[in-house]
Amino acid sequence: MSITAETAKAHAHDPAVLCCRAEAGITIEPANLEDPAIFDDLVDSGLLNLDGCLTIEEVLGAKLTKTCDSLAPLTADVLDGVKAPSVSAPAVEEEVAEEAPVAAAPAAAVPVAAGGVLKIHIGEGKDIDLQIPVGALGGGAAVAEVPAAAAVAADAVAPAATVGEEKIVGTLTRKHFNITEVKRGPETKIEGTVLTIREGIEADVIADQELVKDFKLEIITPELYHTYSETVMDVQPIATKEGDSELGSGVTRVLDGVVMMLTGVDEGGVQIGEFGSSEGYLDENIMWGRPGCPDKGEIFIKGNIVIQEKTNMERRGPMAAHTAFDIITQEIREVMKKLDESLVVDTQELKSIRRPGKKKVVIVKEIMGQGAMHDNFILPVEPVGILGARANVDLGNVPVCVSPLEVLDGCIHALTCIGPASKEMSRHYWREPLVLEALHDEEVDLCGVIFVGSPQINAEKFYVSRRVGHTVEMLDADGAFVTTEGFGNNHIDFASHIEQIGMRGVPTVGMSYCAVQGALVVGNKYMQYMVDNNKSEAGIENEILGNNTLCPEDAVRALAMLKAAMAGEDVKAAEKKWNPNVKSTNVELIEGAYGTKIDLVGNEQELPMSEKRRLKYS
Amino acid sequence: MNNERLNYGDRIIYMEGVVVDVDDCSISVDLKGRLGFFKAPKRMFICDTEPKVGQEFGWNMSFPEQLGPEINEHYVSNIEKERRKQQEMSKRLDNKEV
Repeated sequence: MSITAETAKAHAHDPAVLCCRAEAGITIEPANLEDPAIFDDLVDSGLLNLDGCLTIEEVLGAKLTKTCDSLAPLTADVLDGVKAPSVSAPAVEEEVAEEAPVAAAPAAAVPVAAGGVLKIHIGEGKDIDLQIPVGALGGGAAVAEVPAAAAVAADAVAPAATVGEEKIVGTLTRKHFNITEVKRGPETKIEGTVLTIREGIEADVIADQELVKDFKLEIITPELYHTYSETVMDVQPIATKEGDSELGSGVTRVLDGVVMMLTGVDEGGVQIGEFGSSEGYLDENIMWGRPGCPDKGEIFIKGNIVIQEKTNMERRGPMAAHTAFDIITQEIREVMKKLDESLVVDTQELKSIRRPGKKKVVIVKEIMGQGAMHDNFILPVEPVGILGARANVDLGNVPVCVSPLEVLDGCIHALTCIGPASKEMSRHYWREPLVLEALHDEEVDLCGVIFVGSPQINAEKFYVSRRVGHTVEMLDADGAFVTTEGFGNNHIDFASHIEQIGMRGVPTVGMSYCAVQGALVVGNKYMQYMVDNNKSEAGIENEILGNNTLCPEDAVRALAMLKAAMAGEDVKAAEKKWNPNVKSTNVELIEGAYGTKIDLVGNEQELPMSEKRRLKYS
Repeated sequence: MNNERLNYGDRIIYMEGVVVDVDDCSISVDLKGRLGFFKAPKRMFICDTEPKVGQEFGWNMSFPEQLGPEINEHYVSNIEKERRKQQEMSKRLDNKEV
């Protein structure tokens, strides 16, 4: 297929190959050339040999001296009037692809290098107020003169000087209570660091929902980690609001050292949302310390819910399981509200800070909304509760704007779907790394978080993504992140969100698990800045809970990349095939530029190697 | 890992199937020509309109190839546990109904 003048310009330094047969004597125009995007495949399959091939900018306007067939590479011996190549494109030295020269981010901070002069001459006048964001001085044309290499070398981290005052728009205090033992007893209570759960609470859980037919509660201490378990449906923090505090503000009390863990089957013994086995021994199937997972050493209050036969694939099944399980959490919450202040072991203050004058960024989190367990309860009264929340499927999956503190206070109760390695469980939002990083980064102004559901049908996907585009436009954001969990048809709206935001001139960094199995099904020209959340060695969904979810290291890379994009830096195109080295190169670049050490999280290789994984994945 | 272990991985064939069941989580498809059946999460299907029984779907696929003769005992044990549990639970369900 021939290309347009615009494409030819974008690919000026790529090989020039005829798209169709051309007679001797013609002058080479873009219309005679093939799109370089398809060359990799042709070269791989041996159909095309690019040795000695000239670049597009060299051949345009030259005269063909010999009739050539389609897909013939244009070399000097068939052309007359070849132009001299311009300085070849920068960025050949480093093999950074997909996630690219993040270190170049501070380019805007080195206006000196551009040698530019800000000259303001005012002949006559009065009451003149000049307000120029210092960042603006480094932007635009001046930056263009800074060679990319120089920008990379420059280790100036702080971009433009501070503009405007930081404004604290909200605070959230987390009071931590430590739990070292969980046992059963006549009543639910917390004494010191011992949590007692009422015996017989199971009956209340069963009675709460018609669909719940049986329930078993287990307390898993670290010694019992090597216990066989059904598929883990969700991991939740145990937290409650103090007094009249509303979610996302005031005071939240949280128990440390213990988490709620939900598993479930139907009366026929079939797993809820059954799609093949991922059950097994807990210690071999959980990636400890991921934002959504338990940390090693924590006690699990693990409930196994049995729901009515054959409702495991219906929406009401998983909903009933989550709702009934919350009976126990709620009983613990009630006890927590009465706890004495003297038991607080740690107090943490989270602040929502706006930084006027800094680059305004927004986080768009795409959550599942295809139905059943592909659903999320949004904004419950209690952190990760049920009461008061609305299912995003019922809301039509439309964007819902929340404050960063609401996210960190458990505004999402995730019903979490299949794909254990990439699903974001309720606890993930409670410790969401991207929100935390962006909130604490003094170089950006995080204005909020938008949750948008991923519906099943394409028409609905585009409906909601247009809403996302308009919402971001109204926010006047300078940059955006779009994240999603897992892979599948949600990548269609993921791409569409990025397009809708990108076409409004807002640079957008996309974050998803992709690697080998989750390779994107669609793309568009706005998807230039992508961060892969993969951690698995082989780049696959390896059935280890939380393994490929968004971690602090991904948040750091995404932020650095968005800053580079907002500063107008080029980010190199992704390599054709997934290459894990891209990530390590970028991490080194960031470490070099910021002078910090990024601790990378481990992956499944750290877990006791189950025979299953050894045989299957090594 | 990856598809290097496949000997015929590039034999990609176009397949069609008919939707025989749609629930809140999944879509079930009978492969045309009595070539089998599969059920997968809704998230893995790309649909322009609401998926309904009787609609046709098309996709490219290849032949599943055995990766080796080894039997993974962990999977076997999981499957066995699952089967026993289902049997037990169904029995209880039957008793309850009686």
